Amino acid sequence: MDKSSSQRLPPLKRNWWLKHRFFKLYMLREATVLPLVFFTLCLLAGMVALLQGAQSWQGWVAFMSSPIVLALNIVALAASLFHAATFFVLFPRVMPLRIAGRSLPDQAIVAGQWAGVVAVALLFFWLFGRA
Amino acid sequence: MSKPSMDRLSMNKQAAQHKQAFDEPLWWGLFSAGGVCFAVILPAVILFIAILLPLGLLPAEALSYERASALLFSVPGFLFVGAVVCLPLFHAAHRLRHGLFDISVGNDALNKKLMYGGAALLSVLALGLVIAGMLG
Amino acid sequence: MNTEQISTKRVSTHNIRTKHISVKRYLPDNPAEPYWQPYELPVDDSTSLLDALNHIKEQLDSTLSYRWSCRMAICGSCGVMVNGIPKLGCKTFLRDYEGEIRIEPLAHFPVQRDLVVDMEIFLEHLAAVKPYLIDDNPVKAFDPNAPETYQQSPAQLERYKQFANCINCGLCYSACPQFGLNQEFLGPAALTLAHRYNLDSRDHGKKQRMAELNRHEGVWSCTFVGFCSQVCPKNVDPAAAVNQGKVEAAKHTLIALFKG
Repeated sequence: MDKSSSQRLPPLKRNWWLKHRFFKLYMLREATVLPLVFFTLCLLAGMVALLQGAQSWQGWVAFMSSPIVLALNIVALAASLFHAATFFVLFPRVMPLRIAGRSLPDQAIVAGQWAGVVAVALLFFWLFGRA
Repeated sequence: MSKPSMDRLSMNKQAAQHKQAFDEPLWWGLFSAGGVCFAVILPAVILFIAILLPLGLLPAEALSYERASALLFSVPGFLFVGAVVCLPLFHAAHRLRHGLFDISVGNDALNKKLMYGGAALLSVLALGLVIAGMLG
Repeated sequence: MNTEQISTKRVSTHNIRTKHISVKRYLPDNPAEPYWQPYELPVDDSTSLLDALNHIKEQLDSTLSYRWSCRMAICGSCGVMVNGIPKLGCKTFLRDYEGEIRIEPLAHFPVQRDLVVDMEIFLEHLAAVKPYLIDDNPVKAFDPNAPETYQQSPAQLERYKQFANCINCGLCYSACPQFGLNQEFLGPAALTLAHRYNLDSRDHGKKQRMAELNRHEGVWSCTFVGFCSQVCPKNVDPAAAVNQGKVEAAKHTLIALFKG
């Protein structure tokens, strides 16, 4: 049998995802990495500043408080939470966990991951929140 | 075209169609690990470092130059950079590569090199900065 | 969607009214271009889209072509796009639609005539993953003293049961943008059935199937859009199966690396 005997259609046009709400949400999920990359570049700049000395570090903190940078990083925070909400529900479907022969309910796995988010936030509060 | 050469052609085609994607598990593994870090760790990191710190809402000494250097230029700092910079960068690279394919921009073979290459380069830079700080 | 609300109400066969359905027609000979044809027909709360198409065919327009067989969501023949979403005609009820209903042939497949598509490519992808039990042992004659052949415990059945409900209707291929972008992608149903047989305790064909799955056009073209699982009429969750296939393909690659 010839493997490619059947007819193939040309690829979808690049605006295919605008035609349905579900696909727009998919694209929004994929686009959460754009503000993530912005934040990561900010962080890298901060690391360079930290290496250069106290004055550079203060300069970086000032740069981070400029309205546009701050606004973009607030978008990055929202993006990370949206990403978390979409990513956590995928986990039990990709790796269904079984303990003692029973499969864990999906909600338990999702809740466990959100507990992880809260735990990391508490750790940061413990590190940086106290005077 | 003679029969043997046609056979060889179709055999090559078969071989090409059955080419194993040995690199994809690596990219997908890095993407998944990065996705977990992005979801679990990054919200707190962005909140504290990119929002509360510049707004002056943290105690003055929380991320002073001395404290920030001491925290970052250490073994835990090295691990922190791996989880907060490197893995999320590979996560982003993977999604950008597939996103570019989704909107038919460029070609996948080149996008792959650019995206994963970029993530690798920035990761080396980030980890290198920590090591430089630890040595310096 | 208020599908559930409406479905829980008592279905009435007295509530007869008129609905408008537009069907995308394509007649290969004359004229060559597809066009929309409106139909007006009486429906009640129990009228399925397949009932409506049968009514059109029998009463209004015998030139309309579409596929159907069982009318009970098991043969998988009557898939069409309803307002842009892949659905089985027999499982779609007109009572759930207000206003315009636009019926098109399944997306991402070449149209042969009206609502009839050419599914050959799907069948090729399906055949490629060998969706049947592969046993190393030659078939043994039945021995009543040792009736061990193909025994399976309920727990072993449970592992793949959900993925075995696929009826090959092809709705997931019409829902999958990755298949629309690259038709060489094996696609949701084929990858799901590959996973279903890989999970089967009676099967020994995993190695053969992994060679198909661990290709760029295998599991790795999937980006977990997840729409396949939304439209699946049998709740198979193909997106989960494909992504579990990624975990398996990754393990397969690691093992291959260590074995050299």
